[in-house]
Amino acid sequence: MKTQLEQLIVMINQIVDNNSYGNTPEQTADATAVHLKKFWARSMKHQIIEYLEQDGSELQPAAKLAVQQLAG
Amino acid sequence: MIEIFDPKKQNLELYASPDKDYGTPPSQSENMISLIIDGTEITVPEGTSVMRAAALADINIPKLCASDNLDAYGSCRLCAVQIEGRRGLPASCTTPAENGMKVSTQNDKLAKLRRNIMELYISDHPLDCLTCPANGDCELQDMAGAVGLREVRYGFDGNNHLDAEKDTSNPYFTFDASKCIACSRCVRACGEVQGTFALTMDSRGFNSTISAGQKENFLGSECVSCGACVQACPTATLIENKVIDKGQPEHSVVTTCAYCGVGCSFKAEMKGEEVIRMVPYKGGDANMGHSCVKGRFAFGYATHKDRITEPMIRDSIDQPWQKVSWEEAIQFAADKLKATQEKYGRESVGGITSSRCTNEETYLVQKLIRAGFGNNNTDTCARVCHSPTGYGLKVTMGEAAGTQTFESVLKSDAVLVIGANPTDAHPVFGSLLRKRLRQGAKLIVVDPREIDLLSTPHLKEAIHLQLRPGTNVAVVNALAHVVVTEGLEDQDFIAKRCDDNDYQRWRAFIQQPENSPEAMADITGVAAEDMRRAARQFAEAGNGSIFYGLGVTEHSQGSTMVMGIANLAMATGNIGREGVGVNPLRGQNNVQGSCDMGSFPHDLPGYQHVADDDARARFETEWGVSLDNEPGLRIPNMFDAALAGQFKGMYVQGEDIAQSDPNTQHVYAALRALDILVVQDIFLNETAKFAHVLLPGSTFLEKDGTFTNAERRINRVRKVMTPLGGKQDWEVTMMLSNALGYPMDYKHPSEIMDEIARLTPTFTGVSYEKLEEMGSIQWPCNDQFPEGSPTMHVEDFPIGLGKFAVTQYVETSEKSTSRFPLLLTTGRILSQYNVGAQTRRTDNQYWHDEDVLEVHPSDAELRGISDGDWLGITSRAGETVMRAVISERMQPGVVYTTFHHPGSGANVITTDSSDWATNCPEYKVTAVQVEKVTQPSEWQQSFKRFETEQLEFLEQGRQQEEKVRVR
Repeated sequence: MKTQLEQLIVMINQIVDNNSYGNTPEQTADATAVHLKKFWARSMKHQIIEYLEQDGSELQPAAKLAVQQLAG
Repeated sequence: MIEIFDPKKQNLELYASPDKDYGTPPSQSENMISLIIDGTEITVPEGTSVMRAAALADINIPKLCASDNLDAYGSCRLCAVQIEGRRGLPASCTTPAENGMKVSTQNDKLAKLRRNIMELYISDHPLDCLTCPANGDCELQDMAGAVGLREVRYGFDGNNHLDAEKDTSNPYFTFDASKCIACSRCVRACGEVQGTFALTMDSRGFNSTISAGQKENFLGSECVSCGACVQACPTATLIENKVIDKGQPEHSVVTTCAYCGVGCSFKAEMKGEEVIRMVPYKGGDANMGHSCVKGRFAFGYATHKDRITEPMIRDSIDQPWQKVSWEEAIQFAADKLKATQEKYGRESVGGITSSRCTNEETYLVQKLIRAGFGNNNTDTCARVCHSPTGYGLKVTMGEAAGTQTFESVLKSDAVLVIGANPTDAHPVFGSLLRKRLRQGAKLIVVDPREIDLLSTPHLKEAIHLQLRPGTNVAVVNALAHVVVTEGLEDQDFIAKRCDDNDYQRWRAFIQQPENSPEAMADITGVAAEDMRRAARQFAEAGNGSIFYGLGVTEHSQGSTMVMGIANLAMATGNIGREGVGVNPLRGQNNVQGSCDMGSFPHDLPGYQHVADDDARARFETEWGVSLDNEPGLRIPNMFDAALAGQFKGMYVQGEDIAQSDPNTQHVYAALRALDILVVQDIFLNETAKFAHVLLPGSTFLEKDGTFTNAERRINRVRKVMTPLGGKQDWEVTMMLSNALGYPMDYKHPSEIMDEIARLTPTFTGVSYEKLEEMGSIQWPCNDQFPEGSPTMHVEDFPIGLGKFAVTQYVETSEKSTSRFPLLLTTGRILSQYNVGAQTRRTDNQYWHDEDVLEVHPSDAELRGISDGDWLGITSRAGETVMRAVISERMQPGVVYTTFHHPGSGANVITTDSSDWATNCPEYKVTAVQVEKVTQPSEWQQSFKRFETEQLEFLEQGRQQEEKVRVR
């Protein structure tokens, strides 16, 4: 059974995979960040930001950029 | 002389009433003709029968074999008329009315003929009218009266059918052959209306008998118990058992079925507060007088002994329940929810609205959560079914709903059915679709299973793209690739209606060789040539419509697939008129409505995002509170947060998340982690076994409100009996809200609808008054579309131009491996509905009393599996045991089951894999291994123990209450 954080990591990487065709990592990150802003709950956003700050190793590059946008 | 304009003189058809049988179907012609019947001038559309023209003017010609939902047949000859200048006495049902025709429906000659006919009928018919169950509702009796039959000169001693045996095999109706007049209405209804062709007229002349299947009984035949034959029968030959038991109903109320997303209109025919039968209502535009076994017959759950009728509470789930008053239960729930929020924060509680409840009830629950709880932690069962539809259609076409009426399919030339099984899951629409297929429309099915639609009797042309589970996007991309590269696009539509930048980007993507059928064949398992043929057929048909179900949405790329479907429809110009469109077949009766009503954590009612300041401000003003501008948790996020200790309280109305949601063990653990779970339901469902407060819910028969079906059709639900628990669901939500300190004071659901109309731009024209006037309304209904919108996107899209979306195929992470070599996919069966809480408590159990695992013969042989063996099914999430059924409906490597029975644990094996955009679970793809076993799984054994314990706790609560009463 995945933990809450593990689940969020899977989810964000999946969003990146589904928004990457023909895009630069920056463009994918933009699309991903928009999606997170629109659909993720506040607590989920906080957790993924916290994860990037502490570790972030499981996040794809575009996912990292997206979370940075979210944090900024 | 002054001529007064009388609109009835222009076309009498416009004044037809759904409550009368006009004998033959209406003509669709726009040319009017006038004739004179019994001295009255009548104007009707060309092609109308003499019988119907007369009936429209209330000149009622005797008839027995005619019914206006069936084509004219001309067998009983009772409807003979005399036409000036013509020879003989033609049957009025088969004679088209013609301009200038002069018809007599009554004269001595006709009277004598009709009396002779009736005399022959009655000479072989039991004369037990007074004790006959159809007494008071028998057309034969009525006709005997109408023609003035006074004697039967032939006597009753000769050969007859009076001792014919009854067939009582069907649990809901009886076939009494002794009363049959061989009019064939049942046979024709089974074929023309239902499309099953289970009934035939066996033998000829005097030996004619109605035969189910090949001289089988009804239950053993291919009869699907839709009830069309029972409704069509003019005598007591086919009659509901409940009418036999209870007698004729004395009043009726038109209401809306609470099963699937077709949303059929029914007349609830009553004796006092008891439903005697549900008869499909001809005036209902969703079903036009047809029904299925669930809506027609499976309503007995409403008065089942398992109904929860009194509120109960307990401190923890290892304690027996305690019966308390409504006030005490509500206060207990409110105190606990408030305490939880005080301890763990505002966002630590949430709720789930019900797609089985009314729009008004759903609206109130999300309002309670947003305004009373002060957060957006609201979600609904659409999360696990059609949330990708909401996402995908909103992105591409600007509105989260299907584009057509069901009836529109009668104008389709090619029908593409993807991941849907309409004859089982949406049977009344399935029948309509079959009708169109019999007329010659081409069928393309994209499904891993061989669904029954492919074996439609008299089906003309069909292509089955039997893809591997999980490869939908690869297929839809390949289809679009063919459309684009073979020049089959509708360039005019694209240029006029779609955003060019998006289109060019999509076009460049879809043309890539990797999207060709040839490149995708290895992934999808579908031959390239078949995909090319299907794409051409769809694009070149003229009117191409797409119908899809959960086989599209319940995937890791569910949302991508919905966008792929929208791309295909736009590229071929199949949007914005009748006969085309993108049509999600919604699962539950009000799942469209629950989504419309703001059940999603990110959307206020009418799909207005919570971060939209203008929209939110309007709600804040109306509701008198400030609202959170951040989305809340979705159902799976709530479970994850519960396990992490952040989410501690839930209010669940009419939704059984413990049975319907995937990865059962995860769900159970999450529910156990809650401090307060308030469940409002009609039964102690699986979720309620984890609850601390149990509030009696009310069925659709016990409440007023509205449901919105898959066509966006808002239909009235009308109360026909007092709620067994004393309250309608919206009243309970109101009590809870008031106890939480957020006041609500509605006197009737119509006031709630008025509030919805004030706040929702697509609903501004909707009111109960208008619903009474129009019967039903398809939203959007506002200043722009005052009469509603049967077809959407006619002129433009709500977002202006349609947006093509790039839909790259991304393989699911849920793959078959050597450890889990098979792919499990799940679905529904005709007789059961969703978690089965309703249908399992009816005689529908006759057809499906357990979930089974369908295995392809080659997979079975490899594992030494025979029909009926117990099979252990193991996935990455868990293990369960079911009985095997060997079936060739799947391809090798794919197994199939349903999830209607909690003990079968279908969702113990489904995983947490979900749609990337919406978290809709990937029910349709689970990698599994299957092997023969001898005992239930560990989970099933613990489930059984838990169930026994919880039922005991319920019983103790009930007994305890009785003791108090005695004292």
